[in-house]
This record gives sequence, structure tokens and C-alpha cells, in this order.
Amino acid sequence: MSDCLLEARNVTKHYEEGRIQALRGVDLVVSAGEFVAIRGPSGSGKSTLLHLLGGLDQPSSGEILFRGHSLANSFDLDAYRSRRVGFIFQAFHLLPTLRALENVQVPMFETKLSLRERGEKAAVLLREVGLEQRFHQYPNQLSAGERQRVAIARSLANDPEILLADEPTGNLDSENSTKIMAMLAGIQARRKMVLVVVTHEAAIAQLAQRTIQIRDGRICSH
Amino acid sequence: MSFFRIALKNLLRRRLRTALTLCGVAVGIAAFVALVGFSRSFEQEWLKLYESSGTDLAVVQRTFLNTTVDEGVGEKLRSIPAVADAEPMIVNLMDLTPEVNALVYGWPEGSFEMDTLTLLQGRRFRGDQPEVMLGEVLAENLGKKAGDVMDIQGSAFQVVGVFRGGSALEAGAAILPLRQLQKLSDLGGKVTAFNVRLRKASDGEPDEQRIQQARTAIEAALPGLKAVPASVRAHNNQLVVLARSTAWGTSLIALFIGALGIANTMAMSVFERTKEIGVLRALGWKRSRVMKLILIEAAVLGLVGGCLGVAGGWLALRILAALPATASFVTSSIPGRHCVEALGIAVVVGLLAGFLPAYRGAQLSPVEALRYE
Repeated sequence: MSDCLLEARNVTKHYEEGRIQALRGVDLVVSAGEFVAIRGPSGSGKSTLLHLLGGLDQPSSGEILFRGHSLANSFDLDAYRSRRVGFIFQAFHLLPTLRALENVQVPMFETKLSLRERGEKAAVLLREVGLEQRFHQYPNQLSAGERQRVAIARSLANDPEILLADEPTGNLDSENSTKIMAMLAGIQARRKMVLVVVTHEAAIAQLAQRTIQIRDGRICSH
Repeated sequence: MSFFRIALKNLLRRRLRTALTLCGVAVGIAAFVALVGFSRSFEQEWLKLYESSGTDLAVVQRTFLNTTVDEGVGEKLRSIPAVADAEPMIVNLMDLTPEVNALVYGWPEGSFEMDTLTLLQGRRFRGDQPEVMLGEVLAENLGKKAGDVMDIQGSAFQVVGVFRGGSALEAGAAILPLRQLQKLSDLGGKVTAFNVRLRKASDGEPDEQRIQQARTAIEAALPGLKAVPASVRAHNNQLVVLARSTAWGTSLIALFIGALGIANTMAMSVFERTKEIGVLRALGWKRSRVMKLILIEAAVLGLVGGCLGVAGGWLALRILAALPATASFVTSSIPGRHCVEALGIAVVVGLLAGFLPAYRGAQLSPVEALRYE
């Protein structure tokens, strides 16, 4: 497939010397610019798959490929996470000691941007997620929805090609969930990037171009 | 936002813990600054003392423990062609009052070392009478002037003069007739050393060569004794050696405790921030950058603690230099080089103490760290 950006090829992942089988032979192809939702019950392996796609962990067997090249053999995983991938977590994971503007700059330390350029870019990103009035607030001074928007701005810091979101609305009320998902979908469409969202919610999955169901470590439907 | 700012904010997160850690480092560095600084200035003052007296060599026992030399050696010394003059001397540390300790020298009446002193009051002592000359700082601490009488180890001595010497040690010292100090110290017929002046160099003869040749001649003529130049003598002076070893021993213990404080703080900090480190790794931070962040925090603890310690050490020296019991041999000046050295040690201690926590933090797997609760 010519526009294949990200691929899982017969991927397994087990923990505790094989006693826990998180993934059992998963095959998945994600094309450039595609919005994919991964659904499944708790413990089905969807977050594990997201972590492997994002280079946070390595498969026990099989391989993850980015633009046709194996992550294990061809990439420095730190650089891959820094430059190719943006992560959004359910619990936001902002650094509590840093202001919103500073949190967004954290991934930029792995680039060659100057101090001033980092600040300017973070400001642009925060404006993009509608937080132009909240630059100097600490995470504990922000609402849950605002925190997730800061996290989204942070995930875009190094202009990644892939956005991986693990239950991004899991800690939000329904109104904020709708806003955040609309924002993510908008960003994905504007930037023509891959968006992979792990979710329990059918309403969120409906926004995606494709939904993958995963159960007991296996993909059961596309 | 600079990288340094992240480190600083992490330290400020637990202000009390950071403050207590800084106190630990500061105590260690203050001990180093005050004690090692004191021992170094003590050595420098001895060197000044030897050099200002015009002594080229001191003849002392070879062995470390037996520090006395038979007084009869003087004749033999003076008969060596290279020797222009040789004067016996005793040096001792005495309690002159319950509050005031001072170095007490015993010199013969006509010792060439007298020539380097400037009399501010009175006169030099004469013969072997129970007379004493006081350095200006000691006279002030004791509240004595020429003409007064003072008690030294149970004997009455008349203060005949107050002098200014070439070193702080002399300013805080007392000088007695040699025989009187021998009597007080129970050293009949014995002295601490002979101070030797050598004959002037012949034209073109290097100083070093002249001194080396004289040392060889003296040591050949007087087996069991050694002739040491002023710099070596200052370095090997038993009081200096004692001060130096005590200073380093105490400082190292204090620095070690300070280092444990930093290591504990950084280990706790890494433990508490496991999930945050996982986030940083997930965002693409390399292990080396995580390690750098933690090491910067440890180095900042060392540096700030070091600055506080230098200030504390300087204050401690100021206080010691003002106390009557110690004013005679403590100077409050700290060379800039010593301060820089102290700060360097503080930063290195911080880095060493922070290394293991930093390494462990950097080794965390991002996924496991993110799962950590």
C-alpha cells in the first residue's frame, strides 16, 4: 500500500514471562492522514497496541513499521517519539510545576529551536487550542478540559505526523468530551495527520474514518 | 523557558526538603571553608614567620614524635662553614589565662630573630630574667602593656615589651627567654629546633644550590637531625600537620553527610516523579536529557549549599578570630581561591551524590513509569 504510514505486522506482546498475553498476532495498517479509533473492553490490549505504535514499548514478536521501516531496526525510538509522534493521555500528564506555556515547550527541548522560538511556537499552539488567555496558568489553575487542550497543544509541539490519544476524554464531562474530540478531528483534518484514538465510547469512535475492535489481544473487526 | 528553569522549579516544589538539604551541604562546606581555610592560613602564617625571621634552615629531629634537639648541638652547627649563625628556640602552645591560648617562643637574648620585630612599647628582655615580650594582638587580648606583671604557668613574669612581627602568629604570641621556657616546659638542655642562617651566596651561586649543599653538610655532621627549608618546615610543622589533618578529617565527614543529604533528596525526588519521568520519555526526551535534568538539580543543590557554606565558614572564622581563646592563631581572611575551591567541591559533591538517582531515573522504561502509581 503506497500511502501506508504506520503498520503493525503480526505483533504479539506478553508480560511476566508469557503469563499475560496482551496482544496475540495483531496486524494493522494505518494510512497517511487517516483517523482510526480503537475500541475494546478494559484489558483487551488497545492501550498496549497504542504504546507499541508510538514506540513507547517494543513488541515481544512481530514488528511495527513506520513508512515501511521497522521501528526496532531503523529508528532511534526517542527521536521517533519526539519528532514523529504526539501523545495525548487520559490523565493529561502535564508537569505541575510548569505553566501552560512552559508545558507545551517540554517536547521542544529535543529540537534545535531557540529559547525564543520555543516560546513563540508554544504561544501559537495554545492559541490554536483556544487558550490564549491561559498562557501563564499552572495545571491546577485550569479546568479538566483546559488541561487536555494544553496536552493537545503539547502533543503538536514538534509537528508530528501521528497523533496517538489514549482515552483522551476519559476524565472529561460529556460537553468537554465533545469539544475535545471535535478539536482533535479538526486538527487531524487541517494538518492531514494520522490520528489513532483509543476509546470506550461509541460516539467518539463514530467520528473516526475507521474503527477497529480489539478483544483478548486480537483484532476482531475493522 | 530554559532547561535550567525546569530543574529550578523541581527543586522549589518541596521547599522544606530543599532547604534542609541545602543546610546539610552548607554545614559541610562551612566546615571545609573554616577548618581547611584555617589550617591553610595557619601554614601561611608559619611560612611568613620563618621567612621574615631570615631563617634559611631549621634543624630538627628526624623522627616525628621526638621533637626536641639537644642544645649542645649548637656549637657543632656553628662550626660548619656554610652556617653563619644558629640560634636555639622552643615553641609551645600554652594557656596563658583560662580563656587565652597562645604560641609561646623561647629565644636566647641575642637571637637574630629579634631583629625582625618592631617594638611598639618597652624593650627586649635581658638575660634569663622572668621577663616576657607580647605580640600586639596578645597584649590587647590579655589587657597587658609594658611594665605590667602576668602569671605564666604559676610563675610571675614582667611584661617588658609589646612588639609587631612579620606574621599573625607573632602578633598573637609571647616570647620568653629560652631558659625560662625550658624551665616551664621541663625541657632542661633541650630545644625544639635550631634556626640557621647561612652565609651569603658567592657571586653567581644559585640560592637553591647553596641551601642544598648546606643541608647535606649539616645532616652529614649531625646524624639523626635534619635541616629543612622554611617552606617545608611550614608544611611539616607539627601544629600545622595536626590542624590540617583535623580540618580535612572533620570536613570530609561533614561533606559526606552533606552528600548523603543530596543523594537522599534526589532519590526521593526521582521516586516521587516516576510518572513525570515516564511522560518526559514518552514525549521523546532522551535518557541523557532526563539524567542531565536530575544532575542539574543536584548540582544546583551543591552550588547554593556551597555559597551558603562559604558565607557560614567566613562567619565562623570571623568569630574565631575575635574570640580571645583563638584570636592568637586564627586569621579571618579567606583567599578567593579557597572559596572557588569550596564551591567546586560543593558542585562535585552534588553531582556525585546525584549520579545514582539520575542514572536510575534515566533508566526508567516510559511505559512502566507511566503505569506507576
